[in-house]
Amino acid sequence: MLPECAPLAVPFVPFQQTGSKRYSQQDALNNGTLFPGLNLPFHLKAEARNVVNGPLAELQALEFVLLELGLYLDTHQGDAEAFELYKQYAALEREARSKYEAAHGPLFQTATANSKTWGAWLADPWPWNYREGVER
Amino acid sequence: MFVYEKKLQYPVKIKNTNPQLASWIISQYGGPDGELGASLRYLSQRYAMPYPELKGLLTDIGTEELGHLEMIGTIVHQLTRNLSPDDPRMGNFAPYFTDHGAGVYPTAAAGSPWTAAYIGVKGDIICDLTEDLAAEQKARVTYDNILRQSDDPDVNDVIRFLREREVVHFQRFGEAIRLAKEKMDQKNVYFTNPVLDR
Repeated sequence: MLPECAPLAVPFVPFQQTGSKRYSQQDALNNGTLFPGLNLPFHLKAEARNVVNGPLAELQALEFVLLELGLYLDTHQGDAEAFELYKQYAALEREARSKYEAAHGPLFQTATANSKTWGAWLADPWPWNYREGVER
Repeated sequence: MFVYEKKLQYPVKIKNTNPQLASWIISQYGGPDGELGASLRYLSQRYAMPYPELKGLLTDIGTEELGHLEMIGTIVHQLTRNLSPDDPRMGNFAPYFTDHGAGVYPTAAAGSPWTAAYIGVKGDIICDLTEDLAAEQKARVTYDNILRQSDDPDVNDVIRFLREREVVHFQRFGEAIRLAKEKMDQKNVYFTNPVLDR
């Protein structure tokens, strides 16, 4: 029963429940969301999804989970379980980032301090560059 | 401040040149419901928000939208990087080419340059967050339309990812309205703006 002075004349979207089902990090990146309940794809053209691969893929997946959990926590700051999960993924992401940067060069300008020359920051490929056969 | 990370949120690897397709997708760069407008809308709305959850959410989504702007720019670049002006698929990329060559310029598909008239910043919680719900739906529909028009699986894979992000953002903005309403409704009055009407 709504109260006598019901919340009229304001948009209503149901709150996502705590403890929602989650994808693995790779499936989350492939689907564009961590949460199966929010995965509402465009059905007109069902095509096989590209498998995200390459050295950057694991880091992209971990970072995506952090971003997605971050937005969730912005509106669910009391969800302690989700915050614990955030901390676990943050640790994995730190590890994956230092591994990637050691092998492929800096992702943040400040990480160039660990490189031999400043050219490591300037080096191609920049994110919009893609040549077939050159994996990033 | 902002710090650049030298990577995309989601990989963009497009093999085939297709200027016609680029001329449609450029709308999500600088069109009425594109990612440039999205990022500026949310990052600009933050200042009049009185509650920390809303400041945080607008910052985080606005920042993600800047990453999407980069992904759209990347799609347009990769679809046109090996362009020759007599490409049979030049289509309505030809007038764009006259002004911008293979550069990436914020314009709508039909040619109007990006304008701040595309976005709303009203300085009112319910009003701005309601605009944001609509904005996410309009961006989602634009991505639907691009999927209807495009036959390039490399492009569609990325567009599908971006489209799904609009769905998630819609959910979060809807939750933000409810969080705001709970705080504003304590005196059981209509949702006045607590910044102006103390």
